[in-house]
Amino acid sequence: MKKQTLRAALYIVLAVVGIITVLPFVWMILSSFKTNEEISALHQTLLPQNFTLENYTSLQSNFNFLQYFGNSVMIAVIVTVLVVYISCLCGFVLSKYEFKGKNLIFGFVMMTMMIPWSVTIISRYTMFMKSGLLDSYLSLILPVMVSGFGIFMMKQDISSMPDELLEAARIDGANEFRIFHQIVLPMSKNSISAIAIFQFLWVWEDYLWPYLMIDSDKKQLLAVGLTMFNGRYSTDYGGLFAATVISIVPVIIVYTIFQKRFVAGVAAGSVKG
Amino acid sequence: MLRKRRPLQSKSEVVLRSIVVTFLVVYMLIFLIIPVIIAFAGSFHIWNPLNGTYKWTGLDNYIRMFQYPTFWLSMKNTVVFCAVVVFFRVLLGLALAYAITSRLIRHKTFFRTIFYMPTVTPLVAVAYVWKIMYNPQFGLVNNLFGFDINWLFSSDFALPAVMVMTIWKDFGYAVILFMSGLMSIPSDYYEASNIDGANAWQTFKYITLPLLKPTMVFVVITSLISYLQAYVPVMVMTKGGPGTSTFLSSYLVYDQAFVKYNFGYASAIAFFILIFTAVLTVFSFKLTGENS
Repeated sequence: MKKQTLRAALYIVLAVVGIITVLPFVWMILSSFKTNEEISALHQTLLPQNFTLENYTSLQSNFNFLQYFGNSVMIAVIVTVLVVYISCLCGFVLSKYEFKGKNLIFGFVMMTMMIPWSVTIISRYTMFMKSGLLDSYLSLILPVMVSGFGIFMMKQDISSMPDELLEAARIDGANEFRIFHQIVLPMSKNSISAIAIFQFLWVWEDYLWPYLMIDSDKKQLLAVGLTMFNGRYSTDYGGLFAATVISIVPVIIVYTIFQKRFVAGVAAGSVKG
Repeated sequence: MLRKRRPLQSKSEVVLRSIVVTFLVVYMLIFLIIPVIIAFAGSFHIWNPLNGTYKWTGLDNYIRMFQYPTFWLSMKNTVVFCAVVVFFRVLLGLALAYAITSRLIRHKTFFRTIFYMPTVTPLVAVAYVWKIMYNPQFGLVNNLFGFDINWLFSSDFALPAVMVMTIWKDFGYAVILFMSGLMSIPSDYYEASNIDGANAWQTFKYITLPLLKPTMVFVVITSLISYLQAYVPVMVMTKGGPGTSTFLSSYLVYDQAFVKYNFGYASAIAFFILIFTAVLTVFSFKLTGENS
C-alpha cells in the first residue's frame, strides 16, 4: 500500500517537471502558427485559432533564413568532422605513446577548457582582423578545430584500449597510421558520437564569434541571423517564433533519434575523468 | 619504477608523434598562449581598435575597474547567479535522478529524454522564446501562474527570471550525470544497508551521497566554470537592464569590448574573471576534498 502511494507521488513529480520542461517548446511551436494579433491577444489560447503558415513564408521573404540554416549546417559539419578527427589523433598519441613533454602538452590542452572566452576573444579578434581572414569561413573554423574537451575524452577512451591489440597489429606489420585508422578509430565509436554531438551543438549555438567575424549577409549563421531578425522586426513575434522553431526543432529531432548515444556519451565523459 | 614500454619505436610512430606534437605546440601557441599574452599586455593599455589607440596606462584599467560600481554589481550578480543556479541544478538533478532510477519507476528512458531536451537546444533561440514567455501582457509565465509582473523590466525580478530560464535549460545535464552515478553504485551496498535495518533516508545519507561525491564535484565545478562565463541569456533577454541590474561579469566584458570598444579595460576585467575562476575552482576542490 505504502509502495503504491510512493510510486504515484514519484510519477506525479516526474510528470509535473516533465510538463514544465516541454511546455515552452510546445508553446513556441503552436505560437509559430498563430497570427501576430492572436499572439498578443488579451485572451490567450494554447492552440492556434486561425492556423496560418504566414510566419514561415514571410520569414523567408524578409530574411534569408534558409541560407543561414544551410551555412550553419555546413560550418557545423566541417568543424565537427575536423574536431573529431583531430581529437582522436591527439588522444591516441597522448595516451598510447610515451615521450618527453607529453604531460606539459596535455596540460596546455586542458588549459583551453579552463580559460574563459573573455580572456582570449579580444586578442583573437584583433589577430583575425589583422590577418585579413575577416568575413571568411576560415575564421570560424580555425579557432575551434582543436577541442580540449574532445582530446581529453578521446585520451580517456583510447587509454582503456588493450595494448595487446595494437601490439598484435604491429607484429602483423601494420604501421601506426593504419593502426589508428583501422583499429583505434572504429573502436572509439561511442566517444566519437558524443564529441560529434556536443561539437555540433556548440557551433550551432555559438553567437559572438560569428557575429564578430562574418560581415556579409550571405555568409551569416543562424544564431546571429536570429538576433538580427529580432533587432529589425522586434514586434513581429510570429516571425520570431517561426525563426526559433527553425533553429530549435531540427536539433530536437536529431536528439530524439540519437538520444541513447547522447546520454551514453555525456555519462562516459564525466565520471571516468 | 618499471615502465611498460616497447623497446622499439617504429618509423611510423616517430612520424605520427612528430606530426601531432608539432601541430599541437604550434596551435596552442597561436590560439592560446599568444592571445593570453596579448590580452595581458593590452590590459595595461588604453586600447581601442576603432580609432587605433594603443597607449600605455599602467595599472589604470585595474584601478578604474575596482572603482567602477557596475563592476562590483556585476560581480555580485555573478556570484548570486552562480550560487543559485548551481544549487538548483544539483538539487533538481539529484532528486530527479534518484526518482527515475528508483525501482518503482518504469519509463526511465522517456523521462530522461524529456529532461535532457532543453540542454541540447541552442541557447540563443531558447533565450528568445523565454523572453516572449516573460512578456507581461501575453507571456506564458504570467498567464499560466496568474502573476502580474513585468519580469524582464523590473530590477527585482529580471535577474531571477534569467536564473529560472538557465535552471530550466541546464538541470537535465545534472540529471543524466547523477543517473549514471547512481546506476554505477553496486546493489550489494543497498542490500547490506537494508539488512542492517537502515531506513531510506539513512541509506541515502550514508551510502548514496558519499558514493556520488565524484559526480557531485564534477557537476559543481563544470557548472561554476561555465556559469562564470555566461552572457548570452543576459544579452538576449535584458541587455544588462533595467539599468545595470542584470550585468554579469562576462556580459560586462562583452559590453566593454564589443559595444564600447574599450579593449584594454575589457581585458583587465577578463583577467580578473580568470583569476576569480581559478581561485573558486581550487577552493571548491579543497572544500569537497576535505569533507571525505
